[in-house]
Amino acid sequence: MPPPLPSALRLSEVICRYGKQLVVDHVALDLAPGEHLAITGTNGSGKSTLLRAVLGLHRAAGGVIEVAGRRARSSAEWARRRSEVAWVPQRQAAGRFPLLVRELLASSRHTGEATRAAQELGVGELLERPLSELSGGQLQRAYLARALGQVAAGAGLLLADEPTAALDFDGQEQVAAVLAGLPVGVVVVTHDRVVAGACDRVAEMAAGRLREAG
Amino acid sequence: MNDIAVLMELPSVRLAVLALLLGSVGLPIVGVFIVGLDIMPVRFAMMHVALLGIAIGLLIGLDPLLCALVLCALTGGALTPMARSTTGLSGAMGLLMTLAIAAALLLLSISGVNANGAFELLWGSILATRPEEVIALAALAVIVPLLFWSRRRDLALLLHDRELALCSGVAVERLTLILLVVIAVAIASAIRLTGALLVDALTLLPALAARRVGRSLAAMIRWSVIFGLAFNVGGFFLALAFDFPPGPTLVLVGGVCTLLLHAIPSTAFHPGRVLH
Ligand SMILES: Nc1ncnc2c1ncn2[C@@H]1O[C@H](COP(=O)(O)OP(=O)(O)OP(=O)(O)O)[C@@H](O)[C@H]1O
Ligand SMILES: [Mg+2]
Repeated sequence: MPPPLPSALRLSEVICRYGKQLVVDHVALDLAPGEHLAITGTNGSGKSTLLRAVLGLHRAAGGVIEVAGRRARSSAEWARRRSEVAWVPQRQAAGRFPLLVRELLASSRHTGEATRAAQELGVGELLERPLSELSGGQLQRAYLARALGQVAAGAGLLLADEPTAALDFDGQEQVAAVLAGLPVGVVVVTHDRVVAGACDRVAEMAAGRLREAG
Repeated sequence: MNDIAVLMELPSVRLAVLALLLGSVGLPIVGVFIVGLDIMPVRFAMMHVALLGIAIGLLIGLDPLLCALVLCALTGGALTPMARSTTGLSGAMGLLMTLAIAAALLLLSISGVNANGAFELLWGSILATRPEEVIALAALAVIVPLLFWSRRRDLALLLHDRELALCSGVAVERLTLILLVVIAVAIASAIRLTGALLVDALTLLPALAARRVGRSLAAMIRWSVIFGLAFNVGGFFLALAFDFPPGPTLVLVGGVCTLLLHAIPSTAFHPGRVLH
């Protein structure tokens, strides 16, 4: 029998702080390859911080974070981690300096798939526009298309932080369907019932603690 | 009005024109980097660090200008970790500026050198350009565009958003380090060349004008060089024709043009935009 595949994401006793404030409190989680998890929870409960800690954008104060069975400690390991994890940030940077939609899509390392996803998500006509001239929903769609490009480039895990918050009703359903069809591990922070309903599991975050909803 | 053709016969004028032409290639791109990293006070900081370098050179008996250049490069590099926080770099500039001037004045008084004399070493004039300074500008005119061209994808991501760059496989720390060292060295050598005031005309003004019309980093870089050439050559010949001092004339020409560009509604540059 082949050895079992490592979890797409495994967290144990993860702690994050801002100064003295504990915002992620001993979080544990095991996400099987291809499994989809929705995280809901009140504002300020630590959801974004937890996702950012997986990417090393926020340094966890304690605990173990493994993606595909690997921890990240050195900067080379963090670089590898970031190439293995696709990411839709909650607040997409409109940016100090211009970046074209085309350049955003190319940063996924799979321009072809990202551009195809952009077409599918309705922003395929905007490739030569700077991000600063997109509407909130268009920007979110462009970032989603980038994340889908990252998945095509080999990322085995997608972290999406409220990816439908700025979208219209059709957009929400479309994105829920697109996410549901992804063959990789997905953790999606969402307050959207359609998106949460399409996931295998739902967990709730409250005051830094993550617990599985029934 | 002076006869430009006659003035152009003068070797010092020719050298100045050559210096301005070369400076218009590398320095406006450095200006775009400065605006992109949001460190416009870097010129003041580097001026004071250079003064500290001169003081150190005088104290230990090494070439003061070389010491100034090396110290600027080192401090530029040492600022890299500050770029991690969003407010880090601009705050660091102010701190650096005050610390460097204090240390410089202390060292100068220990070494018994008159502070004004040390400042004068920093105070170049475009009409007193020396051939070796033209070579320095020529080097910048090659290195800076090459740096941009070879790393343009990474630079566009980094200057747009550091976290996006991190998550796109950009070696953010290394690229920031390279940028800061290039900025520091370019500014330090340009101050010596043209005087502190002109450095702004050669770097920041073309970059600020280019930000108005360029919709991508590559377009901004192209426009900054075009504006740099136009402001500098235009300003210089205006100064020659009317016997104005070149430094302030150049700055005023660049400044007024930049202001005018900002006064024109942006739809004038991108008429297609209103149709979408
Ligand atoms: N940069 C920061 N500095 C200090 N505290 C912060 C910072 N970012 C977030 N926090 C605090 O950390 C806590 C968790 O924030 P986080 O963004 O993770 O919440 P969230 O669950 O994603 O909330 P939301 O649903 O509003 O997006 C909050 O109390 C917030 O005030
Ligand atoms: Mg959040």
